[in-house]
Amino acid sequence: MVPFGTDETICRIVREYSPMLLRLACTRLDSTADAEDAVQEVFLQLLSAPVAFRDAGHEKAWLIRATLHRAGDIRRRAEKRNVPLEAAASSAAPAEDGALLRAVQALPEKYSAVIHLHYYEGYSIREIGKLLGLPAATVGTRLARGRDRLRKLLKEEIE
Amino acid sequence: MNWNDYKKAVDGLPFDPDFQARTIELLRRQAREPSKKECMTMKRKTIQRCVAIAAAIALLTVSAYAAVTWLSPSQVADELGQTALAEAFESETAVFINQSVETGDYRVTLAGLVSGRGLSGWQQDLDQSRTYAVASVERLDGAALSADDLPPSSFILTPLVSGYTPWSLNNWTLDAGVSSMERDGVIYYLLDVENLEKFADHTVYLAFYEGGSPSQQSFTMAADGTIAFAEGYEGPHALFILPLDAGRADPDAVEKFIADSGFDREWFVGQPSGAEEPPVPESGEQDAPGDTAGQKTEDSLPAVLQ
Repeated sequence: MVPFGTDETICRIVREYSPMLLRLACTRLDSTADAEDAVQEVFLQLLSAPVAFRDAGHEKAWLIRATLHRAGDIRRRAEKRNVPLEAAASSAAPAEDGALLRAVQALPEKYSAVIHLHYYEGYSIREIGKLLGLPAATVGTRLARGRDRLRKLLKEEIE
Repeated sequence: MNWNDYKKAVDGLPFDPDFQARTIELLRRQAREPSKKECMTMKRKTIQRCVAIAAAIALLTVSAYAAVTWLSPSQVADELGQTALAEAFESETAVFINQSVETGDYRVTLAGLVSGRGLSGWQQDLDQSRTYAVASVERLDGAALSADDLPPSSFILTPLVSGYTPWSLNNWTLDAGVSSMERDGVIYYLLDVENLEKFADHTVYLAFYEGGSPSQQSFTMAADGTIAFAEGYEGPHALFILPLDAGRADPDAVEKFIADSGFDREWFVGQPSGAEEPPVPESGEQDAPGDTAGQKTEDSLPAVLQ
């Protein structure tokens, strides 16, 4: 059990996980303010729910999954008011700085999350499987299909 | 293109340098005063409004009546761009509920749901293992609501399952998403959640309320697993029972869901209210029994809802 209500643990968890969770949220959201909202809400959820983590790995997995869920909610709410991100990205000039990030943001969540966790955070396929609660084979498939979609979005090969 | 460009772009995202400090402060306040109503987040770009909630909530009134002016679940799905789901809501497998609860200034209506095998054979973008539900909210005084009045970030529509703690089995762990839209002053919500049929041998609820994620401040679970809003819960709230076919329950799938979640089983099955103090360090408050007595059923629920 993580005594999240203690001042010490609040500081530890926020400082340890905020940077990673904010980056992860930004794979679903193109507004950093929205990403900050999503991550704050996840921490608040952790505060209110008596979650029992077996170890630090489970703690991290819970935070990652909750962040993806919350960011997905915010994105769905925004999408009904805006041009779908994938359509917007596909019409954007791919050579501009940040084009790859925008393309990752345009991917369905199941692809963007594994791609970000692998290529930015450096997690292995097996580690991502544990974090997201997926079989390693599924992670590998999503990684490959995500890259394929990125190629189509960017109209160039990714080495 | 190489991944260094991606890393460079991510590293250049303009996050608020004070994010950690203000988040820690927010969490400290919440930890000190867990029952205090606060806005869930403190937006940097805008000052988020804190909605004052009327302390006195009228008796909840459950009624079932035909919706003649509202959009149908199919129309809601169609308006939200889910054309295949719109068709699913018109299929024989869809369940029309049209059950309403009057709470505070609002009438909350659960319109219908469709899930599971009923979706097989539909377009590829419809996940076969999902449950979809449509609900609506309107003001009792007839005044029009706008989409910003009841944002999904502040008003929660989540499934709960009897026998499993509300803080363990909810939108957050069931991979759910909620879309909303406004039409003619009525707010419609489309819940998209992991297939709930596997829990169908339990009572499966759909809760609507203002607040954050389900917690011990908002819900109680009795010894028999019955879930209710905490006594004195403030703010608009409604609790529906989903008419799922118990024959479609899949206890093995439920066990696998719990095992794959990465959390201890005890977190899911928890302890009923009034039992031994739950493992919540610091705050440690135990909720009082739920307020189901405050709900009055005007019309008998259809047999399918029981």
